[in-house]
Amino acid sequence: MAGARRRLTPYLYVLPIVAISGVLIYLSIGFTAWASLTDWNGLRRMDFVGLQNYATLLADRTFWIALRNNLLFLVVTVSVQAALGLLVAVITKERLRGSNVFKAIFFLPIAMAPAIIATVFKYMFEANYGSLNETLRALKIIGPHQAVEWLGSDLGVWSIIAINIFQWMGFSMMVYYSGLMAIPDELYEAAMIDGAGWWRRLTGITIPSLRGTTNVLVVLGIVGSLKTFDIVWLTTGGGPGVSTHFLSTFLYQTRSNREAGYASTIGMVILLIAFVLSMLQIKLANRQK
Amino acid sequence: MTMRRRLPAQFAMYAVLVLLAAMWLYPIGVAIYKSVSVGGWHNYAVVLHHPTFSYWNAVGNSFLMAGLTAVVIMIISSLGGYAFATMEFRGKNVIYNALLACLAVPIAALITPLFFSINSIGLRDTYLGVIIPLIAFNVLMMLMMMRNHFDSLPRELIEAATLDGCGTFRIYRQVLMPLSGSALATVGVLSFVYSWNEYLLPNLLLKTPDKFPVTVAISLLQFDRMSQEQISQLYAGLVLMTIPSVLVYLFSQRYLRAGVAAGAVKS
Repeated sequence: MAGARRRLTPYLYVLPIVAISGVLIYLSIGFTAWASLTDWNGLRRMDFVGLQNYATLLADRTFWIALRNNLLFLVVTVSVQAALGLLVAVITKERLRGSNVFKAIFFLPIAMAPAIIATVFKYMFEANYGSLNETLRALKIIGPHQAVEWLGSDLGVWSIIAINIFQWMGFSMMVYYSGLMAIPDELYEAAMIDGAGWWRRLTGITIPSLRGTTNVLVVLGIVGSLKTFDIVWLTTGGGPGVSTHFLSTFLYQTRSNREAGYASTIGMVILLIAFVLSMLQIKLANRQK
Repeated sequence: MTMRRRLPAQFAMYAVLVLLAAMWLYPIGVAIYKSVSVGGWHNYAVVLHHPTFSYWNAVGNSFLMAGLTAVVIMIISSLGGYAFATMEFRGKNVIYNALLACLAVPIAALITPLFFSINSIGLRDTYLGVIIPLIAFNVLMMLMMMRNHFDSLPRELIEAATLDGCGTFRIYRQVLMPLSGSALATVGVLSFVYSWNEYLLPNLLLKTPDKFPVTVAISLLQFDRMSQEQISQLYAGLVLMTIPSVLVYLFSQRYLRAGVAAGAVKS
């Protein structure tokens, strides 16, 4: 009896997590997989239509625009955040006076809600009375009556990218900073004796030593790109037209239009990408150990 | 010689930091300046006594949902992390990997079934209906952090306690918990901040404005055609709604930074 109890004990400890998280997420995934094969309208009608939704999706212009935006967002945010984060981390490691204040400034947006940041930027980016254009006019960078459409179809995605960099650069900075702390000083001292300058030390020691950190930031950036929703939905809402849709907002919009089956198909595509990335993430973590 | 080379280098470094800091402070400056540009400081009073938007209510809702989520996550992630780190049982790795495989699953991908299931168990438009998925999606990373933490504690502690006849729960409570203060604090702070910042779930599942957390309550201050005065009031509201986040940040910086770094390095 005691043996059986002891064998069951571990399961009791993991039960709460499995019951709440595992069950909810995996049931939802199963449900999405099934619904993606139907013409469900979110209410009653739910007829099996096979792979028809998937065929529609591949022919849907909005899908490709959203995928392109996700990809562009991913590449630009990950590289700019990494470059700026590394730059700031390297500088603040020099222990200049006041460097803690700078670190605090760059890290603060991480604690702020993306929804609030997005709303601030939305009105700041507004073409006619928005503060950004007013500032640029005051600085004579643009003409007195010029109105740059920051949230228009050309620049919209770039503005969303800028918001994300504003929020997450401090994250890359922090992660690089702890990575920098782990590089032994002897490496730098040896290089200095050999007469290596600042740039040589950066490209010869710092960046190669931080390769593992950079890999993690890239994977987290890819995941983050798939999760991006608030800063798109609350600024452009995917518009004008469908030009700034991301996969997540495209799905949300589709669901609000009562096309729950089709929305589930978009969900399946996002899940597929997410799972491939998780595998990559786990593999990467194992290799680091 | 070192002095002569250091000065220009220091100057260049400061120039970079100041330039970047100016760009980072600009949006914050805009929000504060705009909040008083039309109507002055009176805007803050207007927002605090708004007919359709209650600041304290929104902050209270956020606090309730984020707080409860954080407490539950601290409990269940430490229990689970403890078992995964120190016990052997059949299916352990399968269960652990199946859970962690969901780390990258975006909530947005599953809103259709989430809405459906929360709605069908009658929890739509309730705090609990938001808290359950908040826990489900945020607990996984915290589980990983707690497991890594317990893995890092010496095994001898547990072995010695077992020889003394302690049961598993007593070891958890009286041996391991006292050594887990900062790990738990990190998990709690991160869960709180992530849940506080969540917009998609409450927006999807709540419909009564009285129950909106701050992230969703922003919409109550936005209208179709806004006058300059209304925009100023909106900015005042945004500044007010950021204050709790800034306070949490100031009081828990250490844990927040540790958690953010740990999540990235260990994941």
